[in-house]
Amino acid sequence: MQLLAWVVLPLVGLATINLWTSHRNALATADLVTDRMLMGSARAIAERAGVSDGVLDATIPPAAIEMFDTGDRDSVYYHVKAAGGRLLTGYPDLPEAPKSSNTEATYRDHRLRLLTFSHTVVGAGDDSPITVTVGVTLAGHDAMVRRLWFGAFTQQLALVAIAGLFVLLGLHRGLAPLIRLRDAVRSPSRSELDPIEVPGAQSEIRPLIDALNAYMARVRAQMAAQRRFIANAAHQLRTPLALLSTQASYALRESAADARQEALVALQASSGRLARLAEQLLTLSRAEPGSRRPRADRIDLTEAARHVLETQAPTAIGRNIDLGLEEAGPVPVIGDGTMLREMIVNVVDNALRYSPAGGSVTVKLAVVGNEAVLTVADDGPGIPVDERDHVFERFYRIAGSTEEGSGLGLAIVREVVENAGGHVTLGDGAAGGLVVEVRLPLAGG
Amino acid sequence: MRLLLVEDNRELADWLGKTLRQANYVVDIVHDGEDVEHALAAGDHALVILDLALPRMGGLEVLRMLRARGNRVPVIVLTANASLDGRVKGLNEGADDYLAKPFQIEELEARIRAQLRRANDRTAPVVACGDLIFDTNTRLFSLAGETLALTPREHAVLEQLMVKAGRTVSKAALSAAIYDFETDADPSAIEIYVHRVRKKLEGSRVHIVTLRGLGYLLRHED
Repeated sequence: MQLLAWVVLPLVGLATINLWTSHRNALATADLVTDRMLMGSARAIAERAGVSDGVLDATIPPAAIEMFDTGDRDSVYYHVKAAGGRLLTGYPDLPEAPKSSNTEATYRDHRLRLLTFSHTVVGAGDDSPITVTVGVTLAGHDAMVRRLWFGAFTQQLALVAIAGLFVLLGLHRGLAPLIRLRDAVRSPSRSELDPIEVPGAQSEIRPLIDALNAYMARVRAQMAAQRRFIANAAHQLRTPLALLSTQASYALRESAADARQEALVALQASSGRLARLAEQLLTLSRAEPGSRRPRADRIDLTEAARHVLETQAPTAIGRNIDLGLEEAGPVPVIGDGTMLREMIVNVVDNALRYSPAGGSVTVKLAVVGNEAVLTVADDGPGIPVDERDHVFERFYRIAGSTEEGSGLGLAIVREVVENAGGHVTLGDGAAGGLVVEVRLPLAGG
Repeated sequence: MRLLLVEDNRELADWLGKTLRQANYVVDIVHDGEDVEHALAAGDHALVILDLALPRMGGLEVLRMLRARGNRVPVIVLTANASLDGRVKGLNEGADDYLAKPFQIEELEARIRAQLRRANDRTAPVVACGDLIFDTNTRLFSLAGETLALTPREHAVLEQLMVKAGRTVSKAALSAAIYDFETDADPSAIEIYVHRVRKKLEGSRVHIVTLRGLGYLLRHED
């Protein structure tokens, strides 16, 4: 619609300007013609004036009046005056036009176009030169203006109409593929994000369709990933839930107090793990691009690590693991504080989980060049080199692994670290075990 | 009744095993699909509870292998994949029943009982031999209306004899049905269990008959 207005409004404007100028042209033409006729009439009258018997006499030739008879019933007024102002013939009160310039005047309630012509009459003595004034009402003049103008008007109208028609036709032809594209996108049968195909789309909108399809392909891929994740998550929750229900059933049926107690303690532990799994799933969904507004807190990684270690200490003590922090002052980084802390929780939790009882886990913080480096070393079984790429995948569990991990910890670590512009690598510890190294860009200033 | 539980989540396997033992089943647990065949060869399992997501050899593969070798042991498939496709696939590969995690233990037990009834060609949930009655739903024996108190091992012996009522059960077969892998199978101990059960049946008209060189037989006097 806007496009149509952009095309039609200028056309209407142009036509208006054109009509105005053609009106002016018609008026000028009519003026010119009328003036020529007045001049012709005045000359004819002047040339009839002559001296007969010593008396200056002027007679009006009929042709001088009849030439104005164009069928518009115009009235012609005239007078001929001698040089002294004496009226020779005609209407005494008809005003004279200013010299050599035609003008319009009002006479007897009629608007007139007037011409005054001065003519030397040989032998008239002091009466020469005579002046002849001819005036004509404007009916014929106006009729001519109307005729001239109307002709131009109809021509213009036809031109605008034809131009408008062509524009509409062109727009329709040009927009038709866009309209088909719109219909294709809107179509109620399109529940899936299939690529859109518009038959007969010419090259102009081909790139648009391709861009649209490429965009939908990305959305589709993201949705598929999301669906996979949700399916995986649901899958991952089923076994712990079955365990919980089994432990509860066992405790309910058991009559021996100590066996019952054992079941309840185990049930509490499994529900804690289930809660942890739910938390990890939530963290992962938050780490998903676009699910959370990226935050740029300035946080001290050392402080964050200290906090995490304090909360993990009871677990470490419970399993007699020597959990230690090695640091040399603040390590400022920019990122989402909550997510970075969650990342550290997952690395440390993993290390504690896979370290044998009585082992040690060391968290080290350092500044290397313009990078913050967090390393967590354990003395667990480590991860075989050919598994190291896979363990960052969500829900990936190393075959035969007996530890009850969720397979989400390292996935969380990688997603959070990469969101913060860093990277994470796995290596071997000096005395076996796994070393997780997280590098993040150091905050400036 | 001896069951084989194949589940890779050790905790779940552990607690399922404990819960089923509460109900006087003899339960063996393996965590790996590759161990199933050995386990079945080494014991007389009446039923297999099979998780599908197993390391190394998946549950479906195990099932296919068992059926290909003509093993007709009833199999209840347990899985976290509750999709229609998954269920159909499992049943097509020869599973007898299908249970999606998470499940209530009562449902698993009901399905185990149903499968065992079918395997033993029974329709009624109650097995009787004279005035000795075994209710497969409560998994309790009663003698002349009184509940019979039995240790798990005695229960296993009597259940086995009851299921095969009227037929001879060899000492080896009894041993394969009542000992799990955790226990050192001691065939001579069978005699002790049989002796104890006999004492508990004293005064009734139900007897365990010893057929030398053949085994045992449960019968009742008319």
